[in-house]
Amino acid sequence: MQNITIYIDDKKLEVESGKTILEVCRNNNIEILTMCHLEGVLDVGACRLCLVEIEGVNKLLSACTTKVAANMVIRTSTERIKRYQRITTELLFAERNHMCSVCVANGKCELQNLGYKVEMDSIRYPRLFPQCEVDTSHSWYVLDHNRCIMCTRCVRVCSEVEGAFNWSVKNRGYQVRIISDFNTPWGESTTCTSCGKCLHACPTGALWPKAIVQGQLDKKPEIIEELMAKRKMGL
Amino acid sequence: MDSKKKIATVCLGGCSGCHMSILDIDERILDVAKLADIVKSPIVDGKEFPEGVDIAIVEGSVTSDEHWHEIKLIRKRSKFIVALGDCAVMTNVTGMRNYFPLQEVIDEAYKNSVSNDAEGAEPNDPALLKLHDKVVPLQEVVKVDFIIPGCPPSADTIFYVLFEFLNNRIPNLSEVNKLKYG
Amino acid sequence: MNRNDLKVISEKAKEKHKKYKHKICVCCGAGCISSGSEGVLLKLQKEIVERGLQNEVEVIPTGCMGPCNQGPLVKYLPENTIYQKVDCENISQIVQSQIVEKKPIEDLLLFSDFHPKPFINAHDDPFFKKQLKIALKDCGDINPEEVEDYLAYDGYLALGKVLFQMSPEDVIAEIKHSRLRGRGGAGFPTGLKWETVYKYVSEEKYVICNGDEGDPGAFMDRSVLEGNPHRVIEGMAIAGYAVGANKGFAYIRGEYPLAIKRFEQAIKQAKKNGLLGNKILGSEFSFDIEVRIGAGAFVCGEETALIASIEGKRGTPKPRPPFPAESGLRGKPTLINNVETFASIVPILNNGGEWYSEIGTPKSAGTKVFALAGKINYSGLIEVPMGTSLREIVFELGGGIQGGGEFKAAQTGGPSGGCIPAKHLDVKMDYESLMSLGSIMGSGGLIVMDEKSDMVDVARYFMEFCMDESCGKCVPCRVGTKMMHDLLQKIYDGKGTSIDLERLEELAIYVKETSLCGLGASAPNPLQSTLRHFREEYESKIEQDID
Ligand SMILES: Cc1cc2nc3c(=O)[nH]c(=O)nc-3n(C[C@H](O)[C@H](O)[C@H](O)COP(=O)(O)O)c2cc1C
Ligand code: SF4
Ligand code: SF4
Ligand code: SF4
Ligand code: FES
Repeated sequence: MQNITIYIDDKKLEVESGKTILEVCRNNNIEILTMCHLEGVLDVGACRLCLVEIEGVNKLLSACTTKVAANMVIRTSTERIKRYQRITTELLFAERNHMCSVCVANGKCELQNLGYKVEMDSIRYPRLFPQCEVDTSHSWYVLDHNRCIMCTRCVRVCSEVEGAFNWSVKNRGYQVRIISDFNTPWGESTTCTSCGKCLHACPTGALWPKAIVQGQLDKKPEIIEELMAKRKMGL
Repeated sequence: MDSKKKIATVCLGGCSGCHMSILDIDERILDVAKLADIVKSPIVDGKEFPEGVDIAIVEGSVTSDEHWHEIKLIRKRSKFIVALGDCAVMTNVTGMRNYFPLQEVIDEAYKNSVSNDAEGAEPNDPALLKLHDKVVPLQEVVKVDFIIPGCPPSADTIFYVLFEFLNNRIPNLSEVNKLKYG
Repeated sequence: MNRNDLKVISEKAKEKHKKYKHKICVCCGAGCISSGSEGVLLKLQKEIVERGLQNEVEVIPTGCMGPCNQGPLVKYLPENTIYQKVDCENISQIVQSQIVEKKPIEDLLLFSDFHPKPFINAHDDPFFKKQLKIALKDCGDINPEEVEDYLAYDGYLALGKVLFQMSPEDVIAEIKHSRLRGRGGAGFPTGLKWETVYKYVSEEKYVICNGDEGDPGAFMDRSVLEGNPHRVIEGMAIAGYAVGANKGFAYIRGEYPLAIKRFEQAIKQAKKNGLLGNKILGSEFSFDIEVRIGAGAFVCGEETALIASIEGKRGTPKPRPPFPAESGLRGKPTLINNVETFASIVPILNNGGEWYSEIGTPKSAGTKVFALAGKINYSGLIEVPMGTSLREIVFELGGGIQGGGEFKAAQTGGPSGGCIPAKHLDVKMDYESLMSLGSIMGSGGLIVMDEKSDMVDVARYFMEFCMDESCGKCVPCRVGTKMMHDLLQKIYDGKGTSIDLERLEELAIYVKETSLCGLGASAPNPLQSTLRHFREEYESKIEQDID
């Protein structure tokens, strides 16, 4: 890999080509907000939180899917980017039913943290309040659609890391839902190995182990990366 | 002392938990009292919301006609409205009935639930408030000037906000790491 | 078949046609079929045989002729007389009068219900007179189910020329010279796209024809696929040769069964005749095409979603870069063009890029097919040079507003486009002019609205479409379109506030700039353009306000 020069927020950096903007920023302690990104699985560019401005490109591009190129001039925290990050966060909260006070993930939730990061004090848009199901059919785990933000981290972990392909997505638009096997209760899945990886991958209180009370959840999304790193080393 | 600010606190569609948190500021209430009078609150007497309030601290969301009229009145009579707690800010627990049609919720509470002793009768006294179809946060009905989320917001947070306002400064929750939901 | 056989066969096919004195074309496009043209065709064929005229008169089914809502249409050649709303009862009268007595029937002539004096030669009618058919050429004159018919109209000669006389670079240079731009919506220069795919080095490359056509009210691509499928096949094969691909896919939406049937049939005929498959026309070039059927999701027209769909995955877009030209189907360099784009390739190679580039406007060369719909007298399919004014299209070709109403606005570009108000009726229909008015050319849908249309409702309707069709992958489009729709509904219902209007405007910009694909990025267009031209309609609906 050859080295190239790029500029991020007026800082000149020598970086390896072939890396994504997100990788470069993380390696250089430049903060990029993300939600659908999970170390260890492929990126899909769905949450649009990591958007950056690139000089000469008239569209905002997702840092997680865009590779650096020589002499790229990147801006990660302009007023416009910040404004959009806040709206995205508000829309995520408004879409489903995030009642933090009664959620298992309260205090350990990536969505809550995102809200604090973008200084969201309230949701300026009308909440949708959809009627969502809670799938408790699995003997150990729960899928609560009320808290799902459709990041599809669970889908990717289950297919790319565990190789079980239990999760997928049904419907379109705001009616999309995560489904188990072919839209059957999770407890009846013939593909799920009950490995529990998706629970750790999930950023919110949408996937959690039973017998956990409010605020007691402890998620470790980093285990996915550790696992993949070990696997690459042949361990 | 006329230079003293007038504070009012009100509980709309909420559980009074936020007011418990207000009480939890404990002896710091004395610092507040030096700078302001509490002219209306569940913890002081007074029926109607008075005129000329400087800071109205409102807990809870708008769930009924009564809340709606109340918050409109509060808006008219106050310089500044502070929305206190997740229910006021984003409906929170009170909003959990929003996924269902209102009648289903009423039936569940008064007819289907095992614990009721009213033999399935819905409360229908004309003096009672009329529930709205959907619960909404304060800012859907009136302009809100400051927002403190949290369920409940901590006493520290409430005191911080009050103290800043009373000293004619504008608080910033993010700056002092006091932004919190749930 | 090799190249010489092709010439022989095409001459033979021409001879065969010459032996007939008359040709009767019965429109068997999906529009006319739905009003009963297949029955008319059978009855006509029977009638001709019964009268013993079968050696004199040729009767064939054809693709779309254009004025779809006047169907079933029957056309007489060489007089070029078109009869409208023909049913089985009229047949015998028509044959008697037209063929035997050589007297046209005035009451049945095309547009006789609009004109006091309809035209005997349909080309004299303004509907046809102002048209220039390039992509649609031969559509409506030839039998789409017979490759010989296409050959009789010089079909596959361009492919022969390309394979034996031109290098891929020559072909690309010719397309670049023509200044053809993609007809799928964005108007990307076609030659440049071909060149990009050509430059990527890869063992495997693909050519994809985008026939998903999901905009409501649009049926340009359907008509081409139904009316002249070989033209598209030939264009794809030429593209394959130019970019270095040996495999093509035609992605056609499942709602177009007739297009799928005819296209598959055409592929078979082409293969049988050595016009597709191994060593085409005896050259070293091999190219094969497979049809893939879409399941009716608008978003599957977006190129990366379409590719995912062909790969058998859920049809959701991917962020670009990388563009399909670099990494498309199965990660290989892929050329993806619209049906109408491919249909324009053959005439360009037959007549030269120079010829094409001189049609239209300097920045938008050539012609564009539009599907006229809404409150217009003659709805249907037209093809006009780029730069034709909206006024000409609506009031001359389209015969004005239904019921003598007043023109209020026209929506171009379907749910991704915008509206053009009456004060801009003289706008030239080309990519840049439409863009400057906050609309887009899109794929060619043109919906005309009269004074009774409520523009807030129009915006709401298109937003609902985008909301339902969003794939749901990215947050801005998934939630943003729903939010904007709900706010529009609220305003339409008279319950909106000025804050709602502010939120709407903010969301519109946000969704436009942050969405992952073009669906989300263009979903706010109808809202923004109605706000721009008809803001007072929004404001008049806002009564109460938050205090
Ligand atoms: C939501 C969406 C729908 C689209 N639908 C179509 C379509 O139905 N047909 C089409 O040719 N292009 C469609 N496109 C454009 C394609 O992505 C692509 O740009 C086009 O097929 C390229 O062909 P062209 O260069 O010949 O225009 C769509 C784009 C978007 C964003
Ligand atoms: S528990 Fe493991 S196998 Fe089951 S759905 Fe989650 S990741 Fe897939
Ligand atoms: S269940 Fe969790 S991991 Fe899966 S899509 Fe929803 S929020 Fe993401
Ligand atoms: S913009 Fe809409 S259609 Fe496109 S990826 Fe996002 S959600 Fe899907
Ligand atoms: S982290 Fe890049 S789009 Fe979600």
